[in-house]
Amino acid sequence: MTMQPFAYERAASVEDAIAGLARVGGDATHTRPLAGGTDLLTLMKADVFAPARLIDVKRAAGLDSGIAATDGGVTVGALATLADLERHPLLVGPYLALAEAAGSAASPQLRNVATVGGNLLQRPRCWYFRNPRTPCWLKGGDGCPARDGENQHHAIFDTRRDDRPCVAVHPSDPAAALLALDAEVTLRGPGGERTLPLAAFFASPTDERRLETTLLPDELLLSIRLPAPPPGARSVYRKAMDRKVWAFALVGVAARVNLDGGRIADARLILSGVANVPRRATAAEAVLDGAAPDDELFARAADAALADAAPLSRNAYKVPLAKALIRGALADAAGMGT
Amino acid sequence: MPTPSGEQPQRLGVGSGELPRWEEGADLSIVGRAHPRVEGDAKVTGGAQYASDVRLPGQLYARVLRSPYAHARLTGLDTGRAAALPGVHAVLSSANAPEIAWYEDSLLFDRTLRFVGDEVAAVAAESEEIADDALRLIVDAYEPLPFVLDLDTALAPDAPKLRPSGNLNGEPTVYERGDLAAGLRDADVIVEETYVTQAALHNCLEPHGCTAAWDGDRLTLWSSTQSVFDVRQRVAEALGLPEHHVRVIKQHMGGGFGSKQIAWKQDVIAALLAKESGRPVQLMLDREAENLAVGNRNPTRQRVRLGAKRDGTLTAIAVDAAQQIGAHPVGGEGADVPAIYQNLYRCPNVRTEQRLVFTNTGPAVAFRAPGHVEAAFALEQAMDQLARALDLDPLELRRRNYADQDQAEGKPYTLPEALGRCYDLAADAFGWAGYQKPPAAGPKRRGVGLAAHDWAGGGGSPPGYAWVKWNADGSVDVVTGTQDIGTGARTGLTQVAAEELGLPMDRVALHLGDTANGPYAPVSSGSATQSTIGPAIRAAAADAKRQLFEAASEFLEAPPEAMTIRDGKIHVAGEPEDRATPVGDVTAQIAPTMIQGHGERGPNPEDKSVRTVGAQIVEVEVDTETGEVSVCRVVAAHDCGRIINPTLVDSQVIGGVTQGIGFALFEDRVVDAGTGVVLNANLEDYHVPTAADVPPIRNVHLNLPDREANPTGAKGIGEPPLIPTAPAIANAVYDAIGVRIRELPLSRRRVLDALATREAPR
Repeated sequence: MTMQPFAYERAASVEDAIAGLARVGGDATHTRPLAGGTDLLTLMKADVFAPARLIDVKRAAGLDSGIAATDGGVTVGALATLADLERHPLLVGPYLALAEAAGSAASPQLRNVATVGGNLLQRPRCWYFRNPRTPCWLKGGDGCPARDGENQHHAIFDTRRDDRPCVAVHPSDPAAALLALDAEVTLRGPGGERTLPLAAFFASPTDERRLETTLLPDELLLSIRLPAPPPGARSVYRKAMDRKVWAFALVGVAARVNLDGGRIADARLILSGVANVPRRATAAEAVLDGAAPDDELFARAADAALADAAPLSRNAYKVPLAKALIRGALADAAGMGT
Repeated sequence: MPTPSGEQPQRLGVGSGELPRWEEGADLSIVGRAHPRVEGDAKVTGGAQYASDVRLPGQLYARVLRSPYAHARLTGLDTGRAAALPGVHAVLSSANAPEIAWYEDSLLFDRTLRFVGDEVAAVAAESEEIADDALRLIVDAYEPLPFVLDLDTALAPDAPKLRPSGNLNGEPTVYERGDLAAGLRDADVIVEETYVTQAALHNCLEPHGCTAAWDGDRLTLWSSTQSVFDVRQRVAEALGLPEHHVRVIKQHMGGGFGSKQIAWKQDVIAALLAKESGRPVQLMLDREAENLAVGNRNPTRQRVRLGAKRDGTLTAIAVDAAQQIGAHPVGGEGADVPAIYQNLYRCPNVRTEQRLVFTNTGPAVAFRAPGHVEAAFALEQAMDQLARALDLDPLELRRRNYADQDQAEGKPYTLPEALGRCYDLAADAFGWAGYQKPPAAGPKRRGVGLAAHDWAGGGGSPPGYAWVKWNADGSVDVVTGTQDIGTGARTGLTQVAAEELGLPMDRVALHLGDTANGPYAPVSSGSATQSTIGPAIRAAAADAKRQLFEAASEFLEAPPEAMTIRDGKIHVAGEPEDRATPVGDVTAQIAPTMIQGHGERGPNPEDKSVRTVGAQIVEVEVDTETGEVSVCRVVAAHDCGRIINPTLVDSQVIGGVTQGIGFALFEDRVVDAGTGVVLNANLEDYHVPTAADVPPIRNVHLNLPDREANPTGAKGIGEPPLIPTAPAIANAVYDAIGVRIRELPLSRRRVLDALATREAPR
């Protein structure tokens, strides 16, 4: 399909863009901000989403694509492309997971235009959600056809009908990496700016908010801040796809460890491709913290991370797959990889 | 040696059977060289015109409304608002379209819809966007009917029926030779297993589509087709036009793979919309429509039984094959799965049974080596399993059993030694005999596997014709009604003409793909273009050359028999080289009299069977923890007779193996069981291989002219390279991990599930 007609505006500034969004009372079905467009336009072409107006924020003053060292950490403008992240000299060592995650996403052509802000805000790739022929709860309908249907790519956590109305997974690779780096996001709406942990930015959709984030319809994501990492921290991102490249993660794993006197501290382990939003494996982090790194420990951590998994009819394979990726990611992050 | 039929009422020129063979070792200067594609510059500069590149004054763009239901009756259709939308010029549906019979038992716009994607209505508008907006304004209502989506449900006793006669397309086809029961009784070892292959989607980069333009009562159709003459015949029949009022043109093509070997509805719909609107209409399918409505590889379930003596001698081969052909019999939907069981191996006791099953899914159609790809996955894994049961090298088991004659037809092969030589070439190039499996690295395991194939095609599909016109300046135009569907046929055929004429390549222009501009040639399918039209062109060139020599005889004061042409100059036997005369001197002398050669592809030999065979060996690495299968290297050896152009042959092998890797590892149409909606009718969710998935592919050239097949000795290579790739990979995966996976594709999910329920190695 081609897109339905819409109006296009270019915002001169963040203030203009927010005013434009607020003008329709924050009606997200009416007006949407446009940056790289790699997700929004595909949703519009699929006839899943037909906003009446797009506000282009790519040249809005107050938004940028900068990646800069600040106060011992790194600040990333929301307009930074995945290609910017993939090869930025600051994103090494403790921040490596972010560069690896960005570099493993999509294709080079897409990475050249897709922004990190849009990447965090992208909608699930669930093939029921994306197909205009199949109604679903996330699109405003009732049931979830994936729960008992073709769910091989879907969630393995919180999958019971009572848990969540939707079993789509969040598709972002960088999101998992950013969570492993304790990222915060700065948002701006009509009432001003607010900063919150990325972990609070993501939230499973609810009947009232059928979205994967808590961003309000008249807010913009301005920037992402990575705090100063623990000294000696290293991070990695590992991803399994159904082919070598150019596919969304079946499972992705972002791991960060800080080896402090031969013992792990400040472990972070985040899984993508397994739940409505990137999933922090806190039980696994607890296993890791304070322990000496070895293969047996990594295996126990992997088991702990998947202890609560409840696969659907066609995705039990994701459990051993996730465990294998976790073991490999931890070994690599601890400098013990092969 | 074949000879042209003496009973033919009229001779159209030289029959290819009259030509002397190009023997092995013949001194050829252009055939056999890696000449770059003659259309290469046009393609890399964007100058080559594909179906969607056609732009005519006032041209409209059409879109098709498709059934949202897997099975339904159309109960209401209001196109009023769509027709009234500014920019819309024509709307067609069952309400106003002529009742044109389509498929075997339905109409161009039928009120019974049999799959999600079946055509309901079409709109022509000034832009694709307006046409899509118009589709959104059509109010359609349906009475949903019960449906079946796969073999199991379609074959169940109380299954909903697609047709009053049920879900089988005709009676089962049974082939028998010898006594299967006796063969199984005599066997020391029996392998009995069931294999499942999936629906693969062609995904031609250039989708199906056409542009239709009328000039009075004459129609020109630029269609993305593998057969301009078949499309002309079908469209003329559907519209009640004489054939000479329909012209079909296809110059360049972004892939067909069999899916474009027939005329599809859009060829007629575009013509009707153009008639209705009085404007040219372009109707290109979008990717979703491409993957719903114009073909797929039929999913199969094959129950295979093999029996062998302790020494490996096969005593019995049997298959019960059920094939899911989708909603409509489009022509070519029932792929020949049984053939490879009947012919690849020498065996006295063979039984094959084939059932073609209708389902409420998009229609199946030929897909690059149809039937053979599906069958090889099953048979060649069963052979591997048999070799292990017999404790025989899988290659040795095949060497002991491969057939040197066509057992189904009861005829010897024209090249009985070809398959044995393919085994040897592939094994030597791969290092099969001395292969040492590297030690396991962590969870990663290496394995090797091989598979062989035969293919009913490659030998050519006569008749087919060509003309050669000698211009006053000595250059030549070759005209034929065949197509270059992206394979490089233009180049290979030009090489044949240049070789026979003794001209440099740049003095020969080949014209094809236009029913108004060249004599009949058959559909480009069955790997047949080079082997059908090559000999016809050679015959036409020989005819033209003979006439040139006769004309030159007077000027050169020499008998025609004493003349040859090399590099554009006529040499007379016994005369010094520097006395050679440029051909242009002769053609200029006789101008405006024009020498015209006519060539006809003579019949294939009656007493022998022309087939193509080959073998591939692969090495894989399997990560037993993540389920990832990586193909490390592929060695291929295929018989295609004389190699006309090694680069073009390598291209076909690389492309076929690449498609085979996709078929083996990723490609799988996913249909939602609740609705019949195809969930991955796009290139995001339907994974074709990327460059990163494809390892080095080495094609070892057999290059053995098949002198009895035709006078060029060349056979086709388009389809065969895909056939053995998936079974070779599956055998290698088994070799690596000791688990046999009998259902495609070998995705991470399938590998991990198989490892989780690990069966004992056999």
